[in-house]
Amino acid sequence: MKKIMVFLASAALVATPALAYKLVTHGQRVAVAKSAMTIAPPIDWNRQQSRPGRNAEAWTLDGMPLNEVTFYGGIAADQTLFKEVNKKEKPLPRFAAGMLPTDVVQMFEASYRLAGGSALFSVDGVEPATFASNRGFRFRYSFTLEGEEVKRLGEATGAIVGGKLWMITYEAPAIHYFDRNLADYRALVASAQLPGPTVTVG
Amino acid sequence: MGRSRLFIALAVLLTCASLPGQAEIKADTSFRFPADKPVKIIVFRPDVKVGSMGVGTVEEPNADWTAAARTKLAAQIDAHQKGGGNEVIFLADQEGENAQVVADYQALFRTVAAAITQHKMAPGAGLPTKKNKFDWTLGPGATKLGEIGGGDYALFVSTHDAYGTAGRKVMQLLFAGMFGGYMPAGIHASYAALVDLKTGNIVWFNVDPASGGDVRTDEGATKRVEQLFTQFPLREGQAAPSAEPAPKK
Repeated sequence: MKKIMVFLASAALVATPALAYKLVTHGQRVAVAKSAMTIAPPIDWNRQQSRPGRNAEAWTLDGMPLNEVTFYGGIAADQTLFKEVNKKEKPLPRFAAGMLPTDVVQMFEASYRLAGGSALFSVDGVEPATFASNRGFRFRYSFTLEGEEVKRLGEATGAIVGGKLWMITYEAPAIHYFDRNLADYRALVASAQLPGPTVTVG
Repeated sequence: MGRSRLFIALAVLLTCASLPGQAEIKADTSFRFPADKPVKIIVFRPDVKVGSMGVGTVEEPNADWTAAARTKLAAQIDAHQKGGGNEVIFLADQEGENAQVVADYQALFRTVAAAITQHKMAPGAGLPTKKNKFDWTLGPGATKLGEIGGGDYALFVSTHDAYGTAGRKVMQLLFAGMFGGYMPAGIHASYAALVDLKTGNIVWFNVDPASGGDVRTDEGATKRVEQLFTQFPLREGQAAPSAEPAPKK
């Protein structure tokens, strides 16, 4: 971490594209997370240019610390949710195509504890949900990041389709922010589309 | 995810330390206190951190310096606000449920301040949807702070100082000479924010990533508060002072 800080400080006068954000215009369908998943946002969002993982992408409204939506675009077997932070000593759990929703939740929780240093993490229920016209799952979680005191809530909605994990998560501080933008997140989830055969729900 | 977010916030603070020209953020230059009634401002215990920094980037906190700086800064904030005709209420330690509400809002405030610093200060990290906007808020629930403290506004102040050791200063010259690179001498960053407790909106915010004034001394603390509060909101009808703004260093 210190190395990164010193590097960035020394590169102070150079704009850092890794930190840059691009506008996602409402009303237009866009492909997300370098994948086949497409989203039609009803309002404008800001897309972070650097990716949290190989098949992931993050959007925000008021800034990453305040509301963050992450798209996981087809995590394949043996892949991790995020980039490894310490592969040798704390390897992140890997996705397997045969996972049940509860296994996905467990993988998610373990990934957060390892990558986010989040010792305070709890899952508050898993239920069936529709995701991009597929049978999927939804769960709520709460956590506090290492070095921070603010309590955050999260909601994840996803499905395993074609042996890959497709999921969209939303996180925000428990006070004010989570409730304020939950509907904006759910609108993104409702607009998600995946190509190919689907398991029709209902 | 979380960790990368922390990296970015910290890195941005360091990055900004060398960009004083881009430092100042005014939430809303048109904001004025009402002219006809007294203004009660609740001041939260200033977030003060003072330490030293050696050749590496590891900081060593100094409890004595921190305690002295906190007392000196609080006295200067009090004097500054009274000078502006505002009533200042230093929030006493709370108990039970109120203590939790205060702690939760202080944590939320730090998070909002991190978002502002990250997205309004870092070159190239601005949010396109907020290009010409400054609409950050703690949400309407912040009225609870007004009920607890008995005020109309809340003032948050945070200062972070790490004084470079002699070894670090030598290293800084070497670094520049050998690699042409930049190594900050230390950290001297501070910010202050005013929250309207009727709405929870941040109506004024100022960051000084290259803060002057040695906060360990009375003179330094005076200078720091003067610089940080140079453009503190005035009352309706009150003209901005024509005097030159306080010198930066």
